[in-house]
Amino acid sequence: MKNIARLCVLIAAMLILVNPALASGPLETLKDAVDDVIEILKKPELKGPEHEEERKRAIREAVSRVFDFREMAKRSLSRYWRKLDDKQREEFVELYRGLLERTYLKRIEAYQNERIVYKGERIRDRYALVKTIVITDKQVEIPVDYKLIKREKGWMVYDVVIEGVSLVNNYRKQFKSIIRRSSYDGLVKMLRQKQN
Amino acid sequence: MKKSVAVFLLIMAMTMTVVVFQARAQEDPFSDEGIDEQEQIEVADPLEPWNRLMFQFNDRLYFWVLKPVAKGYSFVFPQDARVAIRNFFHNLFTPIRLVNDVLQGKLDRAAKEFARFCVNTTAGVFGFNDVAARELNLKVPDEDFGQTLGHYGMGHGFYIVWPVLGPSSLRDTFGLIGDLMLDPLSYINAEQSLMMRSVYTINTTSLKIGEYEDLKKGALDPYISVQDAYLQYRLEQTRK
Repeated sequence: MKNIARLCVLIAAMLILVNPALASGPLETLKDAVDDVIEILKKPELKGPEHEEERKRAIREAVSRVFDFREMAKRSLSRYWRKLDDKQREEFVELYRGLLERTYLKRIEAYQNERIVYKGERIRDRYALVKTIVITDKQVEIPVDYKLIKREKGWMVYDVVIEGVSLVNNYRKQFKSIIRRSSYDGLVKMLRQKQN
Repeated sequence: MKKSVAVFLLIMAMTMTVVVFQARAQEDPFSDEGIDEQEQIEVADPLEPWNRLMFQFNDRLYFWVLKPVAKGYSFVFPQDARVAIRNFFHNLFTPIRLVNDVLQGKLDRAAKEFARFCVNTTAGVFGFNDVAARELNLKVPDEDFGQTLGHYGMGHGFYIVWPVLGPSSLRDTFGLIGDLMLDPLSYINAEQSLMMRSVYTINTTSLKIGEYEDLKKGALDPYISVQDAYLQYRLEQTRK
């Protein structure tokens, strides 16, 4: 009898873990990640320029839990992605991730002076849109939307739209223009140069 | 006395319509939002060589002149003062937004703009204090003549980068000329007008230091990045 009860609990626990409907939704996932980052920025042991490396590592870790860089890279390259082999894709995702991190990690540190209002989420099949408004210390309200895709481990961000400007679309335009003018190898070379 | 009561009632009535409008908007906050692939905006750029040159020119103008001046200006005026000055200009440009609201048939927004102007010019002391947004939650998206033309289906034509003014298009250049007619600064003497516009530009720049730098840092081709950001942003504005 006791064993059956235990089995029931186990099955219930497994159902909860497996059933995606019971896992956290897109808005909650995003909010948790943003809260994690704000938490890191508040930690006294990570404050100040002498802890910059540790702080960056912690933020990078929190961000990569919710950002699907591979999906972003794929969408930014669009049709050129199909022509790449696995190794090239891997290399490209890493270069792209590096570019985004170098650009936006510093930007994230400004979050402390900003307030984020979560306006709501909309889910369509495995895609979701989370609307937020960032209120800056200059009394400016910036609409920031996150596009998410459902993965095995949960909802992951694949695009950020700031005041109607999609990051992925912006990179797609640039990549397309560069590949047309030179070549895919030329694009990779530019990404590498940007690294230094 | 009677007149002031009438004005008061008018403002009240307008605020009421605003409240009703907001309640309705909240029912379906994301009405027609594309979740998946956004369509690509393609606008011709036949002037690209000239545009890239002007882009370079504006880039230098920003780093060599505007930014250092704006930084010095920020040193003299604290951020709160600069935000107040921004609010003053925003209030001053009400006619541009109001008329374009009406031209697009967005009467509820025109009423909101008018209510904002009344409240901010009086209680907000010539517009320096945006009490309408803070106390009454009266906020309206900006409209301009370029958006009005877009609203009625006019395309961009082609992309243009103007020296000093920056990214634009054929349509939005017509828009700028239209807006100039509604701009109160066009109706004061040239000297004063130039001075006011300089203050406006430096003040605006001082509140945006770092934005262009960030964009440039993340871009592989800053010219294309700015062009695309401009077009995506304008599309979003016309939709609102």
